Amino acid sequence: MTSIPAPASDAPAAEPSGTKIGPVVIAFAIGTAVSIGLGVYGRLHTPTGYAVNIAGFSSGAAAKAALASVAMGLAIVQIVTALGVYGRIPLRGGWVSPVHRWSGRLAVLISVPVAVHCLYALGFQAFDGRVIAHSLFGCFLYGAFTFKMLILTRDDTPGWALPLAGGLVFSGLTALWSTAVLYFLV
Amino acid sequence: MKHRSPLITLAAVVLAFAIMFTVNMLSSPPSSRSTGTAGPSAAATTAAAPEQTAPATPSASASETAEDSEFPEKVVYAGRTDDGPAAIAVAVLGNQAAAYVCDGRTVESWFRGTVEAGRLSLKSKSGETLQAELDGDHLKGTVQIKNETQKFEINEASKPAGLYRARSSKTTIGWIVLEDGSQVGVQTTGADSSAAPQLDPENPQVMVDGESLDAAAVNGDEDL
Repeated sequence: MTSIPAPASDAPAAEPSGTKIGPVVIAFAIGTAVSIGLGVYGRLHTPTGYAVNIAGFSSGAAAKAALASVAMGLAIVQIVTALGVYGRIPLRGGWVSPVHRWSGRLAVLISVPVAVHCLYALGFQAFDGRVIAHSLFGCFLYGAFTFKMLILTRDDTPGWALPLAGGLVFSGLTALWSTAVLYFLV
Repeated sequence: MKHRSPLITLAAVVLAFAIMFTVNMLSSPPSSRSTGTAGPSAAATTAAAPEQTAPATPSASASETAEDSEFPEKVVYAGRTDDGPAAIAVAVLGNQAAAYVCDGRTVESWFRGTVEAGRLSLKSKSGETLQAELDGDHLKGTVQIKNETQKFEINEASKPAGLYRARSSKTTIGWIVLEDGSQVGVQTTGADSSAAPQLDPENPQVMVDGESLDAAAVNGDEDL
């Protein structure tokens, strides 16, 4: 991750003439496949009911809630810096893009132990509306994330593609957090 | 492809997933393995169990007749919660009942209560509730686990399947032995819960912290 190119990789960059929709469709298809794959795995494997706990928390659920909340906080940083990158809010300076990239990387890495615990120990469940929604959003999030990363690899995608992908990721995480941590806390 | 760093990020996330999964698989406790959930071949057998109960979701007429039915004088029901990883066992003796719910890891609850005309209403010390009623020869109901309500529909368990408990001055252990011989148990010392040691229902003795404990089948009228 050290070879980060020009700070514009998250920005709309100089919109090249003649954008292509093809790569967006392919990226979307791959992201969709990731989501479906996660859902199928979560549904088919037998939940173990067991997963490694993370030291220092009162319970597995508390650890997950804390990690998910850190990820949620970083996701808000993501939205704010993205608005800065796109010039929608007066946030300027060479730090904005790197902060956006690294907060995103950190957020997704922090989310992984939570997601693995959900998938491995609990699986895709459907015993009530909240749980169905949470299971669906969980599968959705990593598909949306894959979609966004693939969009980022190219400069020739339409200008709306990246904000769409970023918005999907943020919406997915917000929905996940609301259907789990918020529920855990209240 | 113009930029590689998003791909590297993606690869790092995939790698992180792989590492977490590996760590989880390697560190499954022995008792969790014995429930057959760690190995793919055994997983198939336990996966079949909840599916067998699924089509038995009662029609309205079935639950109407259930209102009239009575529990046998002494009976134990055991199984898994619908769609969930937790195991549940309910022991009924006369008009007394005891139940235990656990995930084989950290979550467990003991319930006590009474029986009235084919209906159970149990409570745990921390106030969680378990409601169930007879439906034909199986027991169906709901249980609160950590603020979540889970449904269950479980069958009669015949020995050695059933509910077992061991207790020392500091430690309490509960085991649910399922009809297929697999067991799910949790051991609690103070506020710390962990997977229970393997129980041999024929010779129910376990070693905890160098102390030998006798486990006994729970009948339903015990003080828990």
